[in-house]
Amino acid sequence: MVEATPELLTDILGSVLQDSAFMFVEPSEEPAEWGEKVFAATLAFESVKGGTLRLTMALPVGVELAANMLGTEIDDPEAEENGRAAVSEILNVIGGAFVTRYFGTKVPSQLGLPQALMSSQPASGPRTTCSALVRSETGDPVLLELDMD
Amino acid sequence: MALDMLVVDDSPVTRKMVRRAIGLCGLEIGQVFEAGDGAEALSRLAEHRVDLVLADINMPVMNGMELVERMSADPDLSKVPVIIVATPISEQRIERLLDIGARAYLAKPFRPEALKDLVLEILGKGENHG
Repeated sequence: MVEATPELLTDILGSVLQDSAFMFVEPSEEPAEWGEKVFAATLAFESVKGGTLRLTMALPVGVELAANMLGTEIDDPEAEENGRAAVSEILNVIGGAFVTRYFGTKVPSQLGLPQALMSSQPASGPRTTCSALVRSETGDPVLLELDMD
Repeated sequence: MALDMLVVDDSPVTRKMVRRAIGLCGLEIGQVFEAGDGAEALSRLAEHRVDLVLADINMPVMNGMELVERMSADPDLSKVPVIIVATPISEQRIERLLDIGARAYLAKPFRPEALKDLVLEILGKGENHG
């Protein structure tokens, strides 16, 4: 089992966004400005240990994600309509990548169903084990947080 | 001959992504049906004959594992190949899926070419198909 570090989360987040949606992100240490609305989702997992992953995206990144996944333009209404579902689905892929890298492929692991959150801001709590903040090519923030039980 | 397929996933975005990949992979595709879970998939399969099912694992109501088991136990459906298209999973879970009747596992995200290669391999088609 590897160590849960911000670098691990950054690597998984970057590779999944690149492979699933042709999106490129860079690690960021600047405080994030989220705007009025965010797309967010959580995903529970169980393996040797249990926990939760939470993904928060600024609105423009969520719309770009949905557009790229669906093969539409960013200004297509379908992209914004599907932003929340796209964030949930990408978190599902991130969850699979996380459990197989963190716990390995030899031990059983189980993902829950992604839950979309109605939120205006990310909700980092005291249980957050580690997190990764990255920015899209347009400078908008994406935050992946891990809570281990 | 064009291939009819059923895409089973609870995420509408993923169903559209898989449909898009099917469209891009260069196979001759007929009708593509959709279902949001295993139970809905069985209803679709009762209405339409398909050549292939592409199914997720984690779904509400009836998951992909149960769908494969139900299809394997049904003489009318046991010959329809199922490819599990899901997030990375443990080797043990892949083995279990293949044991109960799934024909292959394709990890998300995947390239359309990978889907094409798998479909051709499973359906025993030559390189000149599509």
